[in-house]
Amino acid sequence: MTVLLEQESAARRATPSSIFGTSSIFGWIMVLPALSLFALFILVPFIQTLVYSLYKFGLTSPTKQFVGFSHYLEIVQDDVFWIAFENNIIIAITGIILQIGVGLLLAAILDRGIKRGKSVISAIIFMPIVISTIAIGLLWRLVFDPNTGMIEELFFNMGWSTPMRGWLGDPDIALYAIIFVGFWQYTGFMMIILLAAMQGIPRELYEAAKLDGAGPILSFFNVTLPELRNVLIVCVLITVISAFKVFDLVYVLTSGGPGNSTQVMGSYIVQNAFTIGRMGYANAVSVVLLVIALGLGIVQLRTSRRDR
Amino acid sequence: MIKMPFKTLRLMMYVFIGGYCVFILTPLSWMVFTAFKKRGEIFANPSGLPNELYFGNFERVFSSGIGTYFLNSLITSVFSVTGIVAISTLAAYALARIPFKGRMWVYMLIVASYAVPLHAVLVPMFQLLDGFGLLNTLAGLILPYIAFGIPFTVILLYAFFLEFPKDLEEAAKLDGCSQLRTVFFIVLPLSKPALLSAAIFQVVFVWNEFLIALLILTSKEVKTLPLGLTSFQGQYSSDWGAIMAAVLLSALPIVALYLAMQKHFVRSLTGMGK
Repeated sequence: MTVLLEQESAARRATPSSIFGTSSIFGWIMVLPALSLFALFILVPFIQTLVYSLYKFGLTSPTKQFVGFSHYLEIVQDDVFWIAFENNIIIAITGIILQIGVGLLLAAILDRGIKRGKSVISAIIFMPIVISTIAIGLLWRLVFDPNTGMIEELFFNMGWSTPMRGWLGDPDIALYAIIFVGFWQYTGFMMIILLAAMQGIPRELYEAAKLDGAGPILSFFNVTLPELRNVLIVCVLITVISAFKVFDLVYVLTSGGPGNSTQVMGSYIVQNAFTIGRMGYANAVSVVLLVIALGLGIVQLRTSRRDR
Repeated sequence: MIKMPFKTLRLMMYVFIGGYCVFILTPLSWMVFTAFKKRGEIFANPSGLPNELYFGNFERVFSSGIGTYFLNSLITSVFSVTGIVAISTLAAYALARIPFKGRMWVYMLIVASYAVPLHAVLVPMFQLLDGFGLLNTLAGLILPYIAFGIPFTVILLYAFFLEFPKDLEEAAKLDGCSQLRTVFFIVLPLSKPALLSAAIFQVVFVWNEFLIALLILTSKEVKTLPLGLTSFQGQYSSDWGAIMAAVLLSALPIVALYLAMQKHFVRSLTGMGK
């Protein structure tokens, strides 16, 4: 992501000589298909979301009734919205600690710690990411199942007690079960990004640190971490943005339950629009999510600009 | 800092990362084991190896239509990814190599749209597809997939074309090659690795996409795999053997593709970290 602005300014500086000359027509014709799909499915719906958040309408009652900002006033007082918002934040914070923390450790081990089996190990750790979240969620529903689940079996064999209503049925535990599955599936993603960045660190820096008497642990803190600063910021932003986008895993594991305890903004939007049929209100929640996502996007671009 | 011999440290690292691999592989192996177990055995022995290979679970999911879901996912993936890569290549090439007026605006617009989450435009998109009469059709799935695949792919390919050697294009021009011929016969063949990376990333996205599919597909004949999996779950409730057989079948092609094309896939992903 941080290359974006660099590319933009590079392109601005160099007026490229092109085999197409400076023909504007060719250029516009070539971007036209992309632009029209973009306009139809992203730009226009984006504007409609903003506008129709001020109207009351639903699946069964398509006539739109103007209600001004009352949906937004309702959001402020909506307990379920705040549960969902808080859950998104909890998912973001735990994601930063667990996925980036463990991903960093794994990447450091793969980069400089061990010599053999690297490609097999990274292939294994990365594998859950290419499998659909729905498939992964169903697998973990089995693992958490109170009757046939493997965790139940493990706890029983160890003589430990398990939650009475099951791991996914207990409102105090279910969110953390979801976070655990997210950790299991996505840590490899952070590992791969961080590993690629570590491999770009000049080896001379490590040689120099070694001459100064630094061991492998010290050179991790004195060489690797400072060099990774920018990539770590990008990782944090990617984690936070995806925490606010989470939907599939919640849908398949708990559908937001028990009793809204694992509701997130994504599932709350879908529930309002397509289950309850309050599409205008769903649009208003969407606008809140949009503001957060675009805000984070701007932070991401700003961060990369400041570093150059 | 505690001084410890490097050998001990290295051993600890092997133990840690080996343990982590076991942590990843154990649930995956439960998926495979359960798919081959009879119902009674799943209850009696949840985590062990199956006593014998039982194929009844697979027979059940085939007879309840996983073949249709599979075909739908395949059709959707082929059309979406071809569309995404073709349209994004045109756009990225023009943005990077043709200095037409307004191109920076187009590029910034596409970059900005990358930050727009799908949930935030769900309701209008649903109404748009409804208006076109595209609910419950694969076309209604493919069009938004292409639209949402374009921003990331354009960003990825723009970076590639920006660094593409200009001399090659100019040499072709001197040899009397027309502009379009140059693009099709010189530039594109040399861009194969970049296009492949972009395509594989999108295959994984499209094959696994769930939210749009959930909203616009309701009849069984048009459902894609992730959606089909959730309906199996509703249908079989606690028949974990059948559910895991379906999960295994849906994951196999994409895992095989990933293992075969690992390098390409990782390359497009690491682009995000830059």
